[in-house]
Amino acid sequence: MESLSAPPPIRRLDPQDPPPAREVGPGATTNGNGGAAPARGGFTAAKRRVAAPRFSIRRMEVDEVSIHYGAKAAVKGVSLPIRQGEVLALIGPSGCGKTTLLRSLNRLTELTAAARLSGSIRLDDVDIRLIEPTLLRRRVTMVFQQPNPFPMSVFDNIAYVLREQGSRRTKKKALAPRVHSALQRAGLFEEVKDNLSHPALKLSGGQQQRLCIARALAAEPEVLLLDEPCSALDPQSTAVIEDLIVKLRDDVAVVIVTHNLQQAYRIADHVAFMYLGDLVEYNSATRLFNAPAEERTREYVSGAFG
Amino acid sequence: MEGEFHPEYGPKWSDQRVERLLGALVVFVVGLLLAMIAVVVARAWPSFAHNGLAWFGAGGDVDDQLNAISLSGQNGLDYVWTFHAWPLIWSTILITGGAVVCGLVSALFVSVFIVEFAPTWMSNVLQPVVRFLASVPSVIYGLLGVLVLVPFIGNHLVTEPEKASVAGVISLTGYSLLAAVIVLTIMIAPLMVSIFSDGLRAVKPGWVEGSLALGVNRWRTTWKIAVRAARPAIVAGTVLAVARAIGESVMLAMISGSVGFPPNPADGLIFIYEPSRPLAPTIVKNVDQLSSKPANATLFAIAAVLLFSAALCSLAGWIARRAMRKYGAA
Repeated sequence: MESLSAPPPIRRLDPQDPPPAREVGPGATTNGNGGAAPARGGFTAAKRRVAAPRFSIRRMEVDEVSIHYGAKAAVKGVSLPIRQGEVLALIGPSGCGKTTLLRSLNRLTELTAAARLSGSIRLDDVDIRLIEPTLLRRRVTMVFQQPNPFPMSVFDNIAYVLREQGSRRTKKKALAPRVHSALQRAGLFEEVKDNLSHPALKLSGGQQQRLCIARALAAEPEVLLLDEPCSALDPQSTAVIEDLIVKLRDDVAVVIVTHNLQQAYRIADHVAFMYLGDLVEYNSATRLFNAPAEERTREYVSGAFG
Repeated sequence: MEGEFHPEYGPKWSDQRVERLLGALVVFVVGLLLAMIAVVVARAWPSFAHNGLAWFGAGGDVDDQLNAISLSGQNGLDYVWTFHAWPLIWSTILITGGAVVCGLVSALFVSVFIVEFAPTWMSNVLQPVVRFLASVPSVIYGLLGVLVLVPFIGNHLVTEPEKASVAGVISLTGYSLLAAVIVLTIMIAPLMVSIFSDGLRAVKPGWVEGSLALGVNRWRTTWKIAVRAARPAIVAGTVLAVARAIGESVMLAMISGSVGFPPNPADGLIFIYEPSRPLAPTIVKNVDQLSSKPANATLFAIAAVLLFSAALCSLAGWIARRAMRKYGAA
C-alpha cells in the first residue's frame, strides 16, 4: 500500500514509452508481476494491479463451439473454461469472433435469426440450450459496449430488473435495499444516493456504464459478461470500472471482451486470444503477454498486426 | 457593407437571404393562421353572445332550432338565435372518444406486432399497406359504411323488441353510434399504426437488447421498454388521430344518422344503436343556408368550437410529451 502514500512522480510523455501504470483507488494492489520488464515479443505491459486469484471454480465450459452466420463462420471450434474467482479476457483484432462468442454465452446470438451454434456451452454442467433463455440470462447477465441505461430514473433502472424477476413486493420502499446494494456493488451509490430519481441518461458516461453494471448485478448473476465496457469511456472512468471488475471476480465469474491489451493485462487472470474465429491461445495473463506460446499471439501482443 | 462582393469570400450576406426568405414565409403562415382564427371567432361571436353558456347546454330539439335559425331573417321574420348544441357536442364526444380509444388499443397492438414480432417479410408487406389505408379518402369509408355496415346493424344486430323499446323517442335503423365508431376507428387506426410503428422503430436497439440480456422476455421488454420509450410518438399519433376524428364530417354525415339526438346511456346498452350527429357534419348539412345571418353565426360558432378543441388537444399532447422528455425518452 505504500504506493498510495505519495503521488506518482510526474513523467514527461515519451512516444517510445508505454503509458505509465495507473494506481487507482484503495482497492488497487500489485502482485509479483508488477512493473513487468519489456517482454520477449516487445510487449511492454503496464503494471499488473491484480493479486493472484484466491480461488477459482469452474462455472462455465465452452466446448468445441462454432458459430455460423449463414455460410460465414464467426467462431470455429473454441473450447475454454470460465471460472469464478478469475477474470477472463477475450482479445483479438476486430471481427475475430470474440463478441459473438461472448453473446453466445447467454444465448443472445439467438436473437440474430441467421446464427447457428454447434458444440456445447455448459453452465454448472448443464447445457445452456436446456435452460430457458430468460432464466439463463438472469444467471449470465451482460453489459454492452455503449452504456445503455433505460430512459428512466436511476432507481427505476435497477428496480426494473427486480420487478421483472417477479419480485412480489414491487413497492419502492421494499425494493430500496436491493437497489442500494446493487449500486454499492457497482461503486456508484455514493455518487447518486442523494438523487436516485435523477434521469439515468443525464449521468456521465462512466456513471452510466457503472449503472449498467449495477443493473446486471441486481439480477444476482453467476456470470457477468462485459463487451468492451470501457471503450466509450475516458481513462478515469475506465480505471474505476477496472477496479470494480477485479473486485467482482470473487462473487461472479467475469468474462470481458477488450481491444485494449493493457487493460487485459491489468485486470485479467486468464486471456484468450482469438484470430479469425480461431482460439489461438488460452493462457494465464502473465504467460500470454510475457511468454506467449504461439507465434501469432506474440505478433499480436507486440503490435505487429491487429 | 451588405451586398459587397469580395473576390475570395463571396458575398457577405448569401446565407442571410435564405434566413430572411424563410422568416418571411413563417411570418406569413402564422399571420394567415391568426387571421383565420380571428375571422372565425368574430363571425361566431353573435351566436355565443345571444346564448351565453347555454350554447353548450341541452334544451329543446337542436334540429328544430337550426331550422328556425336558418329561416329567420327571411321574408321579414325576426332573427332567431336560440341554439343549444349539447346533443351535437355529446355525439362528438361519444363518437370521437369511442373511436380514439378503440383505435389506440388496436393500433398499439398492431404496431407492436409489426415492429417487434412479425417476420421481416410480413412487416415489409404490412407497412405500405398501413400507409395506404391511412390515406384512403374518408368518403370511401362512408360509402362502405352506408352500404354494408349500416344495413347489417339495422337488420341483424338490432332486435325488434329493442326497436320497440325506444319507438316513441327515436327509430333505430342501423344509422348509429356503433356504425360511426367502427368506421371512424378503421379510418384513424392506420394513421396511428403508422406513427406508432415509426416511434417503436426509433427506440434505441440498445435498450431492447439490454433488457433482453437481463433475462426479461420479449413481451415484457416490448411493453416496459420499447412502448414506454415510444410514448411521445404514441401521444403525437393520438393527437393527430383525435384531430382527424373531430374534424371528420362527410363520412360521419353519411352513417351517424344525421339526427340531432343525444344517445342516452340510460337506455341501456342499446344506446350504441341510437343515431346522432356530431358537430362537424352539422356544418356540412347546413352549409346551404348561409344566407341567414344567425345561421351564418351559428355555423361559425360550431367551427370555433371545433378549432378550439383541436387546439386544446394539441396543447395537451405538447404538455404530455414535455413531461415524458424528462427521462430522455426520444
